[in-house]
Amino acid sequence: MSLIGAPVPRREDDRILRGRGRFLDDIDRPRQLHAAFVRSPFARARIEAVRAPEAVTLFTASDLSGRVRPFPVAGPPGAELDESAGHPVLADGEVRYAGQPVAMVLAESRALAEDAAELVEVDYDPLDAVVSPRDAPEALMRWAKSAGDVDGAFAAAAHVVASRGALPRLVAVPMETRGAIAEPDPETGGLTVWVSSQDSHRPLAQLAHVLDRPDERIRVIVPDVGGAFGSKGGAPVEAAALAVAAEQLGRPVKWAEDRLENFLGAYQGRGVEAEVELALDDAGTILAVRARLWADLGAYLLPSTAIPPHTAAMLMCGAYAIPAAAVEVIGARTDKVPTGPYRGAGRPEAAFFLERAVDEAARVLGIDPVELRRRNLVRAWPYETALGWTYDSGDYERCLDMAVELLGDPPVADERYAAGTGVAMYVERAGGMWESADVTLEPGGRLVVRSGSSPHGQGHETTFAQIAAERLGIGIEDVVLCFGDSAVVPRGVGTFASRSVAMGGSAIVQAIDALIERAAPESPLAVAAREGGLHASARFESPMVFGSGAYAASVRIDRATGELEIVALAGVDDAGRIVNPLLAHGQVVGGIAQGLGECLSEAAEHDESGQLTNATLADYSLLTAAEMPPLRLGIVESPSPYNPLGAKGIGEGGAIGSLPAVANAVAAALGVAVDPPFTDATLWRVLHR
Amino acid sequence: VKPPPFAYEAPRSVEAVLALLGEDARPLAGGQSLVPMLNFRVARPAMLVDLNRVEGLSHLRVDDDGALRIGALARHAEVERWEAVARGWPLLRQALRHVGHAPIRARGTVAGSCAHADPAAELPVCMRALDARMHVRSHSGTRVVAAADFFLSHLTTAMRPDELLVEIELPPLPAGARTGFAEHARTHGDWADAGAAVVVAPGHAAIALLGAGPAPVRAPDAEAALRDGAPRQDAARLAGALISDPWKRAMTTALVERALAEAGA
Repeated sequence: MSLIGAPVPRREDDRILRGRGRFLDDIDRPRQLHAAFVRSPFARARIEAVRAPEAVTLFTASDLSGRVRPFPVAGPPGAELDESAGHPVLADGEVRYAGQPVAMVLAESRALAEDAAELVEVDYDPLDAVVSPRDAPEALMRWAKSAGDVDGAFAAAAHVVASRGALPRLVAVPMETRGAIAEPDPETGGLTVWVSSQDSHRPLAQLAHVLDRPDERIRVIVPDVGGAFGSKGGAPVEAAALAVAAEQLGRPVKWAEDRLENFLGAYQGRGVEAEVELALDDAGTILAVRARLWADLGAYLLPSTAIPPHTAAMLMCGAYAIPAAAVEVIGARTDKVPTGPYRGAGRPEAAFFLERAVDEAARVLGIDPVELRRRNLVRAWPYETALGWTYDSGDYERCLDMAVELLGDPPVADERYAAGTGVAMYVERAGGMWESADVTLEPGGRLVVRSGSSPHGQGHETTFAQIAAERLGIGIEDVVLCFGDSAVVPRGVGTFASRSVAMGGSAIVQAIDALIERAAPESPLAVAAREGGLHASARFESPMVFGSGAYAASVRIDRATGELEIVALAGVDDAGRIVNPLLAHGQVVGGIAQGLGECLSEAAEHDESGQLTNATLADYSLLTAAEMPPLRLGIVESPSPYNPLGAKGIGEGGAIGSLPAVANAVAAALGVAVDPPFTDATLWRVLHR
Repeated sequence: VKPPPFAYEAPRSVEAVLALLGEDARPLAGGQSLVPMLNFRVARPAMLVDLNRVEGLSHLRVDDDGALRIGALARHAEVERWEAVARGWPLLRQALRHVGHAPIRARGTVAGSCAHADPAAELPVCMRALDARMHVRSHSGTRVVAAADFFLSHLTTAMRPDELLVEIELPPLPAGARTGFAEHARTHGDWADAGAAVVVAPGHAAIALLGAGPAPVRAPDAEAALRDGAPRQDAARLAGALISDPWKRAMTTALVERALAEAGA
């Protein structure tokens, strides 16, 4: 039986569940110092002075002067970026968000470092904070694209439907918070940085830029990582301060942040508002879409800050054959911690805004929402959208049919309950760019795979081993994976955007193929045994691949209290060929749990002075198992033509599809669209106004 | 989040504990509220007096007078699982399943939760409904404070800093009593926004509310209506009327009705 498609249990679980994982905070280096950061209590202020008693080992922006640069600014092609908005390592003269690192204190333990941090006095001159992205005077990023005759389509349309929506900021809340250790090597002048990050490549490139040195002089090691969900996509800015201090003092410096710091200092997700207009003819054909998105980017442009709103805008055609589209993103500068990718990273935003507009169109035209979708679906692939992305493969109608069927009968409204059903389609970009793999077949028959794509919960040690073992025709137990150490693994791109199997997995396929070719006409095992090993590597490149899906939800709302019950949630995902259905199922369920958290309880709440008012797990409500509704899941497999596995990505579908489906169901039940989170109090107020 | 420096004492006797307690010394039982407050540096006592090695505080028993006595170190999980509690004071089990999560209940104590007096906590509301008697001791002696006089405000009780809540006494419920508990929290185990604990018996009604103020309150009008034979919907409405926020009033009304239904009223 083929290992591809086999439900192999996660090989890494035994080690991790027994507590044998090695996470950042499990690592202690000889003679290490511990860092604590003094963080701004104000969202916006001038810094007049920073003082500490003599005994405190203190680093401020002036101590780093000339030794670090701000973090690099990056953005999508064609975007207008504020190049001066790179995140400073430590605040220099001004702070622009509550929680921004102002100074670093070092001590022999974290507790002592926190004690010392309390002795640091900072004179702030507080200023008014910009909190609302719609009122922000500055933009960090602007981007727009128009294709097709949008104005003509709207002028000629029988119906123009407008809708708006807003998604609050969310905190990623990985179980393991961020952290790093910087250790100088006085002999080589090199620097080793352990960092809890999604891969080693981006932290390495960023630190090389910030510390202004060639990347050969930095070694980045990513140990086991306890979750990221997009929020550990680079080096934390704090890591650069650790590096400077470690080199100056000649000692390793460790920082393992606490939950409070993670809430305040780790970049957040979402925080987007949009206005969407659809032009339709009398038959319900969508002729054009227009969308304007206001993204709450926060105070600085981290390297990935501008990516999610751009992705959202590019996906505003969704699963539909819409011939003309005009989209615009205003990336507002607010006095809050920057935003960045969070599971879905623009895809849930696009699906939420567009699918709400489609439901609104169905209401205005008096057409059943499923039927209106059916009339507009893309039906032939490859399909290039008006905005210029090419959907590689799919079967959107089948996903829709399956989701509707899985959902079953809708709940009935009565005196006690309002009830509604909602459906939503999504298309998501995954993969793209390139990835690396390096394989060594040892004389004894063990295969060592070094991958540029490293795990933080996805199960690479299982899926990648399945791919390698299947391709080489050996047992999965003979495959060993190596990840995360820039001195050991080849340069790569990393783990994000649901790209690991499609890109990292395909690179492994290619590397194994190269190994087989190198040994031909003999078997690789024979050559490896004779020649003391056999080695090959590959760099796999492909265009983006596009997963898709359909979700449907039925809800009922207690009219007396506003309590929302998700009666059932159906989810159908098409992620191309599935390597491991067990792990794919886990990804879908996990994604749904986060999507439903966004629906039901999660929101980073900032008050008018820019303070995050729910910066602890006591105040920021994460969904628990008790809130999970019955799930009815299905899989469609439309192989991608762009990689040898036919794979796409399954990591985000649950987080993308669940939100718009539940949102549309809630709107159907209430008779009016509401923005999440759909708390009982919010729904009650709508029912009773 | 590491606590600021503090001195630590772990005496073996209540007397030794009482000799240490005062303005700047806080008792530590299960630590499920105090330790996070220390770590956030919100609480900064100079000394922690660990009760966990003290003899004579761990008891959980029903005395000859029929009263349940919960010692300062009795854990939530013990109270939740003891059959005698389920038979005699079922309200406690009904409420305890809403207290945090299993690991918190394994360590946290019933008395600790009451002494902490979080207005969003379940147990103070139960104590109000059950007419608990709080046994408070200091080096100058023991006094018994009725639950009605014990919970004063947000994180504030009638205890002085030198006093320790050594025991909670719960009188037996009236014959034929049934109880109910209902609460609303954003997610299971989260702090509650609203809630109700009820005890109903022939000629007896106790309705205590969570979320109606900075301390648990009773709903006397609703209780009187229920004793006079009013349907539970009417009693619930009277209880809800104690709350001004419109959604919370609606929610509390529904919760009181659910708790009363659970109690068979």
